[in-house]
Formats: sequence, structure tokens, C-alpha cells
Amino acid sequence: MDKKLGVYICSGCTIGESVDTEKLAKVAKREGKPAACQVHPFLCGQEGVEMIRADLSTGAVDSVVIAACSPRMKTEAFALDPQMILERVNLREHVVWCHPPGDEATQMLAEDYLRMGVVKALKSEKLEPLSDPVSKKMLVVGGGIAGITAALEAAAAGYEVALVEKQAQLGGFIATVQKRFPGQAPYTDLVEGGIAGKIQEVLYHPQIQVFTSARIAKMEGQPGMFDVTVQTNGASSSLRVGAVIMATGWKPYDAKKLRHLGYGQSPDVISNVELERLAAKGPVLRPSNGQPVKSVLFVQCAGSRDKDHLPYCSSVCCMASLKHAAYIRKQNPNARVYIVYKDMRTPGQYEKFYRTIQDHPLNFLTKGEVASVEKAPNGELAVTILGTPLGEDIIVHADLVVLATGMVPNSADGEALRALENAEQKVNKGESESQKAEAARRVEELQYHKGTEILNLSYRQGPDLPVLRYGFPDSHFVCFPYETRRTGIYAAGAVRTPMDSTHAQEDALGATMKAIQCVELASRGLAVHPRAGDLSVPSFFLQRCTQCKRCTEECPFGALDEDEKGTPKPHPYRCRRCGICLGACPERIVSFKNYSVDIIASMIKAIEVPEEDEEKPRVLVFMCENDAYPALDIAGRRRLRYDPSVRVVPLRCLGSMNIVWIADALSRGIDGVMLIGCKYGDDYQCHFVRGSELANRRLENVKETLERLQLESERLHLTQLAINEFEKLPALIDGFVGRLREIGPNPYKGI
Amino acid sequence: MSDALLLHPDIDFIQSVMASGGEDLKKCMQCGTCSAVCALAPEDAAFPRKQMFEAQWGLKDRLVADPAIWLCHNCGDCTSYCPRGARPGDVFTALRRQAIEHFAYPRFMGRIVANPKALIALFLAAALVFWTVALWAPKSGPTPGLEFANVFPIPVLEALFFSLSGLVLVAFGAGLARFAKALKTSGAGVNLPAGLGAVLVEIGTHARFSKCGKNENQRLGHLLAFWGFLGLAFMGTAVGIGTMAGLVRTPLALGNPWKIFANFSAVVALAGCLILLLGRIRDPEKRAASAYFDWFFLLTLTGVVMTGIFSELLRLTQATRVMYGIYFVHLVLIFVLFLSAPYSKFAHLLYRTVAMGVMKTAKAQK
Repeated sequence: MDKKLGVYICSGCTIGESVDTEKLAKVAKREGKPAACQVHPFLCGQEGVEMIRADLSTGAVDSVVIAACSPRMKTEAFALDPQMILERVNLREHVVWCHPPGDEATQMLAEDYLRMGVVKALKSEKLEPLSDPVSKKMLVVGGGIAGITAALEAAAAGYEVALVEKQAQLGGFIATVQKRFPGQAPYTDLVEGGIAGKIQEVLYHPQIQVFTSARIAKMEGQPGMFDVTVQTNGASSSLRVGAVIMATGWKPYDAKKLRHLGYGQSPDVISNVELERLAAKGPVLRPSNGQPVKSVLFVQCAGSRDKDHLPYCSSVCCMASLKHAAYIRKQNPNARVYIVYKDMRTPGQYEKFYRTIQDHPLNFLTKGEVASVEKAPNGELAVTILGTPLGEDIIVHADLVVLATGMVPNSADGEALRALENAEQKVNKGESESQKAEAARRVEELQYHKGTEILNLSYRQGPDLPVLRYGFPDSHFVCFPYETRRTGIYAAGAVRTPMDSTHAQEDALGATMKAIQCVELASRGLAVHPRAGDLSVPSFFLQRCTQCKRCTEECPFGALDEDEKGTPKPHPYRCRRCGICLGACPERIVSFKNYSVDIIASMIKAIEVPEEDEEKPRVLVFMCENDAYPALDIAGRRRLRYDPSVRVVPLRCLGSMNIVWIADALSRGIDGVMLIGCKYGDDYQCHFVRGSELANRRLENVKETLERLQLESERLHLTQLAINEFEKLPALIDGFVGRLREIGPNPYKGI
Repeated sequence: MSDALLLHPDIDFIQSVMASGGEDLKKCMQCGTCSAVCALAPEDAAFPRKQMFEAQWGLKDRLVADPAIWLCHNCGDCTSYCPRGARPGDVFTALRRQAIEHFAYPRFMGRIVANPKALIALFLAAALVFWTVALWAPKSGPTPGLEFANVFPIPVLEALFFSLSGLVLVAFGAGLARFAKALKTSGAGVNLPAGLGAVLVEIGTHARFSKCGKNENQRLGHLLAFWGFLGLAFMGTAVGIGTMAGLVRTPLALGNPWKIFANFSAVVALAGCLILLLGRIRDPEKRAASAYFDWFFLLTLTGVVMTGIFSELLRLTQATRVMYGIYFVHLVLIFVLFLSAPYSKFAHLLYRTVAMGVMKTAKAQK
């Protein structure tokens, strides 16, 4: 299909003064044979936009290239038809604002970018939205405070809800506590439970379907069309839902692992959750003899912030102990209450409650590390505390010791469960004895995951959400709360990150909003976060598939299942359009209509590589379009200067980098290739969780390619950059170009 | 772990510290800002952070035997900078009061002075003593003009005050001996004579006081009150002994150099007291925090000097017999001041001197 291309070049914002826009227009005409090609001094103004719209409405033009500012700018002015091919060429931030005006190198840069944009527009195809029928019903997993809140909020927003709870009653942990943390000013008094009303509201809500004593036997499908089988007391129901809110809460850290703090050694050493249970029944008595408690010592961070136990802070245990101190104070005004902490952490307004408890003359708080809890001769417990602010180690006697244990998420490690299943199969069907033995070892190692399944997803990558650090399934620690690595499934409350009931309610609101966005976007056939609104989906040219399973393994979101032979079965509604499958595929069979191996390769080909004797190196830079590319925009806005021999190609994610592009570039005489992605590892900043890491891994293979081409490995450089590190970019680029100049020109030039 | 310290919080002690000016004690979160800003705290034994912890946990025995509480001159820097409003300066004032009461000899006197209600009884007793003197003591016969000796015979007053001073000195001695013993038990080396010279020079010049940058007025007031009062005490003792020995006949003539010195001392003491009083009233923080203990001492001291000056002026004018009433008040105040000295804030004069000596000894030992 022949395209009627319109190329519109803006000469505003100093573009016209820095580069010869008429020459650019000539380049566009030569390369793209456009139906229309205009230079305008103020393209994003009303007149400029009208000019483009007029060409579109008369049908003179059906695909558009706008050579002006960064594609991240003026998106509203240039919001034309979302299905139409629209390519933005970044002449402002990436060319004229960071390179000298009127310079030959600046002009060459602008011309290359324009050529690349024109080629991309010519190679792209018009987008069509997905159009399957979509359910907007929500499934809430877990009937604690977070789940109840999510169900009520989703119902209030007009959505049908199914709530699944494994216990016989709704309410979760909060239904069992005597008092809750202060909820309003002056934050000095505990408040009553207050969940009973909400439970009634959920039970009698016409839009909420409640399943108690229930489990999810199976969940298959994709956002907008999850098919869920819920089992209750032998009966089984099938539901179709659009999105899932996982609010499965937490469980206390196992105090049995805290023998060094006296747990299990004396009945008078209990956990905070046990104290809560005792308090719910009446006055707290010494478990050993039923006598009233005259003195109690709370050990904070019991098994928390400890590399041998939970390495993290659960953020609620300090408040819980302060609350328990208030319980004890109420039942015995003369009781001595000791709290030994690493750091007192009472976030936000809770500091006021901390102060209130601290103020009491008989409450003794100190920093310190509890070294041992032993029986004292007088029948009390002797607690040895090291490193107090007194400068001495101290011993305190108390007749009850409470271990403030932290929160463990009620999650299941989907990937580990799948690994366990695979290993179990290999134990019997292994190819060799050593493989069988290795599989048996693996089974033993992963055995403890057995039976932890919650969602029972029929996904190739495992039956539950993949977990990240410390077993929490939340996919991004700062930028994208509630997102998990399974599109359409959102985590809320303490399963997402440790939190108290007040915050769990807020969290439920947030996750509900994400779920609503998901079903609404899915119903319009659009991508959800982070490429919200994207119409493109990957297509797989399966005739050429070799069933290598790289795409199905590497998709961070489990969007691809497999048939028996291992051929990928795409689920476009699960897809986040990152293109990692495109980067993974050695057969290059994965393409988007506007993003493919061929399109990027053509853009690389569009770069004019000067002859060796001109001493003008050319450097290709693949930039993650989420962080590195906008960082280069900021560098432009700051008028930072860097070497004009670089040619930037933005990638949806560095994980979508297909190594063939590197081979293409180097064999065309481009002197070096730089790849700038996001930070990976535990504190990753990759928008697609694992893309940057995968790119790094793939580059190992590229080294072989280089050797085959007899090129220096220094011609490749992969690095990570955060969006706020834009000031580092010029030095990074100049440093790499400088090194390439030292190495000398690519010997493939001109071949 | 056998050398770890077994802590049993002394709850009565915590409550009495909180009731006697240290009510914000428990707000301390041990950040140590106070010790960092204190200009007087030695680097190797910083205060008041550690003492705040000890006070929160009711470690009375350590605190009363800790020289640090006496090294503080209550400039209030720690209180101003405390991010939690725990007011360490006020806690230290309360701790000093606790220490004085703890070492008091006899103990019941300590309790009486510490208790505002019992103190009224002390004033009433003093009034009764001088009322009795005025009514019943044998007079030496009428003199030409109005003279205090007409109502309050000098030998009787001398007998009364010298025996009172004797008792007070014994009580002071006993208190200090207890303090010294406690210091020794807690491990502080007490070798007072070694450092005494340097300590006295430091006290005489108020050198430590001037390190508290915030409080130049307080230093001046204290310096004047200190020297003025010392002059008056010296003159009182000298003239008393002189009279008993028959060398001096009171009242001295106005031009007499001794009299000039005495009057000068009185004016200096009054100026000092007024500066201190004004400072307390003007500073809203101080006024709120100043415990009864401080007020009692400062007001008694000011009252003594003021009624003394007033009595003398009335005597010089020879105008009215009201002067006997004023002199009566003067005598009562002096009596109470003396009698309460080992148990009131007055005692800081000696406790602080010893504590400073201990610190000097410790430094010398290093």
C-alpha cells in the first residue's frame, strides 16, 4: 500500500536559525517522495496544526512526519488520529539546542534524523485497536480490610465485584484486634475496631458477590477476560472478570525462629500477635502462672531488619508495641513497660502517639539490642540489652516479654512454583542420571513452596505472581505502586508492602483505580501502564518459529503461553508492548506495525556514514525511551553540548534491542554502538522490570559477533542512566566518541 | 555478660523529679543535641544526655553522686535546642534539688525545705523566735535615739545567730560528707585540696559562667549577688565577733570604712539579686519553668538585702518606729535563710564547689 506521506518541518524555537530547513525539505523530498512537504515557522501553533489537518482531511496525506521538537513535547497540539502513522523527528532538543548553529555537523545530524524519521514512517503500518468483548467485573482476592475497601470502592464506582475469602468470615486481622492505631487528630488515642459495619455493607451490597471459605481453583485468560473457578465447600463457580485486586494480606513472621530471644524457652515470651489475641479475650495475664502482668518488655525488630530473618522493616511493629503498651497501662496503671528498639519508626502523625506513650513515667523506652532473654532467679525474665545510650550493657527484669515480629506477605512465588513443577518432572524424565539428581536437589530446595498457590493462574511462567524482593509481588518499588508483573492483577495492602490498616485502606483505593483503568483501557483495545493507550500489539510470524522459547521465557509479564510444541501463544491483553519478545527472537519473527527489526534496521541504514578519510565518526546510540531519551531532552533544554557524531535511536525498552541491529550498524561502517538503559538489579528502575537486565545479558552474545567481524569490543558500550542524571550524558557520549577516535575508524567503512 | 548493669527503675524518684520542675523528662529521645550544644560539658564526660537517660530510668544513686549535675549553670541552651521539648536544663535543676534533699542532714530538714507547706511553718517558727526576743529578752536600757538594740538586744541576737551558724555548719558538713562518700562509691576521685585553688579562682571570676554565651545578664547578676553577699557575710561575722570581744560598738558611723564597705556590699548584692529576678521574670521560658525551689531562695535572699537596707535607712532618718517591724522581717528572713541553707538552693555554693573540685582532680589525673 502506497503511503501519502506529509513531512512538516518546523523552523521555530531557533531551529530555522541553526539548520537550513530548506535543505532539510529537499532531503525529505528525495528520501520519502512525500505527497506534501512544508516548512513552517510555528508548527505547533494553530495555523501550523490546521495546515496538517487540512492535508489530512482532503486525503492528500495519510501519514505524517513532524520534524520539530521532542516527541515528548506538544503532544496535545499534535494529537491527530491515534491510528494514523505519525513520526516525530526531534530537531529541537536533540539537534539545535545542543549543537552549534550553522555548523556542518549540526546540519548533517538534522538530515540523518529526518531521513530516519521518514524511513520509519514509510515502513510503519496503520494501527488497529483490539476489539474483543471485555468484562469489567472485578475480582478481589482477600476479605481483610484492604479487600473489603477495594470491593466497596469498586462497587461504588459502578463495577460488579466478586470477593473471595479463604476464611469463613470476612474482616481479616483487623476483625480480631481490640483497638486500632489512632486515626485522626490529635493522634493520641487508640480507636475501636470499626470493621463490622463495613463487613455488613459488603455482605448486603447488591453489586458484590461474596465467597467465603473459598479458594481459587483456576484462573486463565487475560485482562478483560479472566475466567476464574472459585471453590467453596465442594461447590464450584465460574466467573469471568476483567481485572483482579490481590489483597491477601500478611502473616506474622514465625516466632519459633527467634529462640535466641527466648521464644519457646519460656511461656512468658510471646509474640505481638499472640499478645493481641490475649488482649482480645480480657486482661493480659502471665502465661506461666496466670498472674497479672506487673512488668512487660517489648523487643522491637524481633526478626526484622536482620539479615538472618526478615531483612526489611515492617513499619507497623513499633506502633503495635506502643498500642500494646497502652493496653497494659490500661489494665495496670502501675505496670512497668519497657520498649527496646533499634529505631523507633512511627511514620507520619503516629509520632504523636509515640510521644504520648513515651511521656508516661512508667514507660521506659531505649535504643538497644536484646542479647538474651533468660529466667531470673525470682521467676521473672532477665533481659540483657547491649548498646544502650547509657554506654553500658544493662539487664532488665520483666514478667512478660513480647517479641514485636514483622509482616510476611501472604504471597506465592509463581516462578518458584513453576521451577518446582519442572524439577519434579525432570526427576522422572531426566535425560541423564546427573540431571535427575540435580532435579531432585532442586525439588528439595523448592519444596517449601508446595501448596502455597493462591491465584492458580494457568500461565506458562507459573501459577502465581512473580515476587520481587523479600517475597512481595509489587512490581515497582517507587514509580508504579500496585502494578504486579501480571497485567490486570494489582496488589493492595500488606501483601504489596508492609503497612497498617489505615494505609491498607488507602492502598486499596489506589489498586482499585489501577484495576478500573485496566478494564476501561482493555474495553477500548488499548494498552495499560506504562504505555497506556498504545494501540500496537506484537504479531508473531509463526511459520518461521523454531520453538526456542526465548520469548515465552523472557516476557516479564507472562503474556505468552506455549502450545505443546513450545510455539508461543500470545495474549495481547496481557501485553505491555515493551518489545522484549522482539529483542529476544533470534529468528526475528516478532514485529509491531510501527516497531520491528526491519524498521529499526532501516533507520540505521538511513544514517549517512562519511568516508574514512573525512575523519567524521558515526556513533549509534540505542536509548531507552523511558529514561535515557527524556534525559537527553533535558540535556537539550539545558543547552548542554555533546559530540554531534551520535545518532540516537529510541527503543521502547532496551530489552527490545535485537542484536542483529548491532551487527547491521557495525557492518555498515558505524564506528561504535552505545546502549543506554535503566538501572537493573534489586533497586531496578526499568519500566518493564527486566528489560535492561536482559539487554545486558544479550550483549554477552554480541561479543561473539564482534569477534567474527574482527572488531574491537570497545566499540560497544552498555550503560545505565536515570532520568535525573542528564548532566552525565555529555561526558558519557563524548568519552565514548573520544575512545572510538583513539581506536580509529571502523574498517568496514565504505565496503 | 555478668558485668551488665541490673536496672531497677526507682519510680518514686522519677515521679519526684517530674513533680519538681522536670515534668518534661520523659520526652527525651536521646538524640544528644543537648550534649552537643552544651558549652560547659567536658568532651570526655558530656552531659546532659546521659543524665537524661538515667533520670528517665530512675537511676537515683548514680545521679545524686554525679558531679555533672553541678557543672551545669542552667544557661538553658540545651532546653532551647531540644527538638522534643524535654527541657534538660529544667531536669538538671530538679536533679540538683533531689541531690540536696538526698544528702540533707538531718533528713527531715531536707523534706521540710523541699515542701512549700512545711516551709511556712519554718517562717512561723522564726517569727515566733524573734517575737519572743522582742517581748521577753532583757534590754540593756533605753538609748538616746531609736536603735534596734532597744527591741532586739545584741547579745541575744549574737547568741542566737552564732549558735544557728554553728548548727548550719555541722549540717553542711554532714551533707558534704555524705556527698563525698557517694562520689567515692561511684568512683569519682575526691581530692578537694588539690584542685581547690583553681576552683576558687574559677568561682571568684565566674569563668565557667561566661562560657554560657546566651546568659551574660545572668552571669553579671550572679557575680554581683555572689560578691555582695560574701561581703555582707564577712562583715556580719567580723562585726559580730568584734562586738562580742568588745572592740566594736554598733551601729557604726556612716563614715567608718567598715560601714562604707558593708553598705557597698549591700548595694552590690541588691543589684545582683534584682538583675537575677528581672531576668527570671522577663524570660517567659524561665518563668514558666522556674521551680519553687529557685524562687524561694532568690526571693529570700533579695528580701534579706532589701529589708536590711530599708531598716538602715529608717534608722538613719530616726523617723518612725516602723523600722522595728522592718528589722523584725529582716531578722526572720536571715534566720530562715541560714536555717534552710544546707537544704535550699543555697547549698549549691558548696556542692558545686566540691563537684568542680572533682572535675579538676579527674582532669589532673589524666
